[in-house]
Amino acid sequence: MKGNRVFALPGFFLLLLFIASSPGWAAITVQCPGDTNGDAIWTGSEVRPDNTVCIHLTAGDGFIRMADGYLQYIFGFNDFTGTPPDQVMDEAMLSQQFPAPTIKVKEGQNVYLTLSNVGMVQRPDLFDAHTVHWHGFPFQTPVFDGEPMASISINMGSSLTYYYAAPDPGTYMYHCHFEATEHMQMGMLGNLYVTPRQDDLPDGTVLGSHVHHTGDRYVFNDGDGSTRYDVDYPVQILAFDPRFHDASMNVQPLPFAMMRDTYPMLNGRGYPDTVSLTPPAPPDENGGRVSQPMNSLITASRGQRILLRISSLSTVEFYTLSSPGIPMLVVGKDAKQLPAYFTTNSLTLGGGESYDVILDTADVARGTYFLYTTNLHNLSNDNEDFGGMMTEIVIN
Amino acid sequence: MRSIMTQRFRWFPVMAILLLLGASPALAAIQGVTGTTFNLTAKADHISTPDGNSILIWGYALNNGRMQYPGPTLILNQGDTISITLTNNLPPGAGNVSILAPGQSGGTATGGVQGLITREAPPGGSVTYTFVAAQPGTYAYYSGTRPELQVEMGLVGAIIVRPAGFNETSNKIAYGHPESRYDDEFLFLLSEMDPNIHEFVEAGLMNMIDNTKYWPVYWFINGRAAPDTMLDANVPFLPTQPYNCLPTTHPGERLLMRIVNASRDLHPYHTHGNHHKVIALDGRLLESAPGAGPDLAYAAFTTSVPPGGTADGIFYWIAKAGWDIYGTDNGHDCVDADGDDLDDATHEYCPDHGKPFPVNLPHKNDTTFGAFWGGSPFLGTAEPLPPGEGGFNPNGAYFFMWHSHSEKELTNFDIFPGGMLTMMFVEPLSAPLVNP
Repeated sequence: MKGNRVFALPGFFLLLLFIASSPGWAAITVQCPGDTNGDAIWTGSEVRPDNTVCIHLTAGDGFIRMADGYLQYIFGFNDFTGTPPDQVMDEAMLSQQFPAPTIKVKEGQNVYLTLSNVGMVQRPDLFDAHTVHWHGFPFQTPVFDGEPMASISINMGSSLTYYYAAPDPGTYMYHCHFEATEHMQMGMLGNLYVTPRQDDLPDGTVLGSHVHHTGDRYVFNDGDGSTRYDVDYPVQILAFDPRFHDASMNVQPLPFAMMRDTYPMLNGRGYPDTVSLTPPAPPDENGGRVSQPMNSLITASRGQRILLRISSLSTVEFYTLSSPGIPMLVVGKDAKQLPAYFTTNSLTLGGGESYDVILDTADVARGTYFLYTTNLHNLSNDNEDFGGMMTEIVIN
Repeated sequence: MRSIMTQRFRWFPVMAILLLLGASPALAAIQGVTGTTFNLTAKADHISTPDGNSILIWGYALNNGRMQYPGPTLILNQGDTISITLTNNLPPGAGNVSILAPGQSGGTATGGVQGLITREAPPGGSVTYTFVAAQPGTYAYYSGTRPELQVEMGLVGAIIVRPAGFNETSNKIAYGHPESRYDDEFLFLLSEMDPNIHEFVEAGLMNMIDNTKYWPVYWFINGRAAPDTMLDANVPFLPTQPYNCLPTTHPGERLLMRIVNASRDLHPYHTHGNHHKVIALDGRLLESAPGAGPDLAYAAFTTSVPPGGTADGIFYWIAKAGWDIYGTDNGHDCVDADGDDLDDATHEYCPDHGKPFPVNLPHKNDTTFGAFWGGSPFLGTAEPLPPGEGGFNPNGAYFFMWHSHSEKELTNFDIFPGGMLTMMFVEPLSAPLVNP
């Protein structure tokens, strides 16, 4: 992979040259009410307006390490909330993560999400714009939908601020929608969920047969406590086709028709990396920065209710995710409470679907259980058997 | 991969909108044929794909007209006894052909020859099927003869059964319950294709077909791959693909999606803009008891209909944006006399009325514009764009992509974008809906 670095260096300078030579508009610009210095956080004399959240995401490229050790070139997002805008280009180039940083907001919050396009260092031939598509956002308008045919996308070296009045609670997801098949296969995918107002009820509020106590958390505004949970874990189904990524890295024609994913993952890693509390070794190719910080190890004390926020952003296949040891109580689909819950041991998701699942561990013996795909050939990391789309549920 | 691909895609919608503007205004509805007696003919012909390919198809033709893909949408009335006579004019070597109509009642078949699943029309011969359209809903029909080949070759179509009491102007309902009412309806017949099979058939190499190597590279809605899905219906240069799929609606209206999966794979069909409420599967209302209405309906932002199955969804759009989608400088009102939080005429969400647009949009030099971007975030407002940008949204409508979320399927034989996608658009109330 030495060739990458050789290639990346001129790419870096070409990118700087392009940005320096483009018309004088381009700039990293954060819009965040109450924030005066553009770092998207409130410090010193800056006053945070009530109910306001600011997020600063970057979009660009990077490298990750697959569970079998293979280096993979990605397009991705990273979170630079808190970084002064004049440092963002330097820090964010060739520094994106997989999956994209998890976004968690509360129902009713005013969310100002700034997306800054830092360019693709490894691909100086590309001039791609990027977007954020909040997948499943109800009652959306095109300007903030991030679907490029119907709205606007942000060019390299510049920023676009999306505004969301955080909608109904539940499990959504987000991704770049610009040249969607390519940018999504390349990794611009992440978890996103909204927590309900019901979490903030006064202590002692009666919800049917349930009495709310401060600290109780719910999936939905259920009115009866039936979606209460103790610990929650986003679990995103993802998969890569290494031939597609290598073609992109090497500036070759992209194999759309032949796309076939052979790196099935949860939250951007294949087993056993899914349960590792330390990230895979940071690739030299992205300057040694950690690019896969998210594990999928699910831990709970016996008796706790575990919420799994399962979503799929697979670009090719449907996957069935199974929890054979602990029954899955399905309370929501696509960020809506189901009219009738059901219990199962497996769920099948295509790209763009989500489920909210509660694992009740009251009657479960302590020990280690598994959450894995029953499309069993996907228990692999490309050619390496035993791995892939699997993680562990540890009941203490 | 921006340079080639977006440019290639950009000029196609020009045709779509030009054709759209040239069409005579009509209510949004599904194209098809009505009646109780139908004569269909199975024939061979070719379809076009947006990458310039021409693919051999076996399909159903109405009477002895031109074969079409998919076959004519049969729009029936609940309770009617339906008779379909099928004549086999497929080329020699194609063998017999037939029709199955799953979900219908009391089916009989007469004439022709006995096949494995049903009676079949032999080459040059005919067979007649009768059934009762006993239950309202969305259905498919397709060949029951060598279906692994003949359905792939194109012998598939949709059936819509109108419920008792349905009226095209005064009582638009999908099922026999008011909760299935709708204002606009559209068909989404999803299919995919492996052109190798069609090439083998065309070359007379039927024995070369190997279903273990099935590898689709085309994906269709109503027989067209994007961007052709957005062209007008019945465009003369797609003579064997008469149906389009360009759903339109107004704020607050109920748009009925009739989804038919006429393919081998599942396709997670995603609606930008809002959830859709799935009220029926396989032609049966999701109700806990007969007459209860769709009390088991569920909202989804992505629906995956199993192969051979159907789903009916109600899509409903208003904005709850947190800002006034009509802008704050034009003096419009939000009048909510009936207390549903919506303006009684425009369905504007009144709690957001008068709230300013929350951010500054980036400078145009830093922006890539979509072809369906009207230049303004406000509904019904079109603003100038730089030369060559936008241009396909003259009314300032809100466009939303409705597409398979298996993103691989947004391609036409290795070329992005295309495949199983279309644009749904919400027109301001002042604009009529002109589709198909």
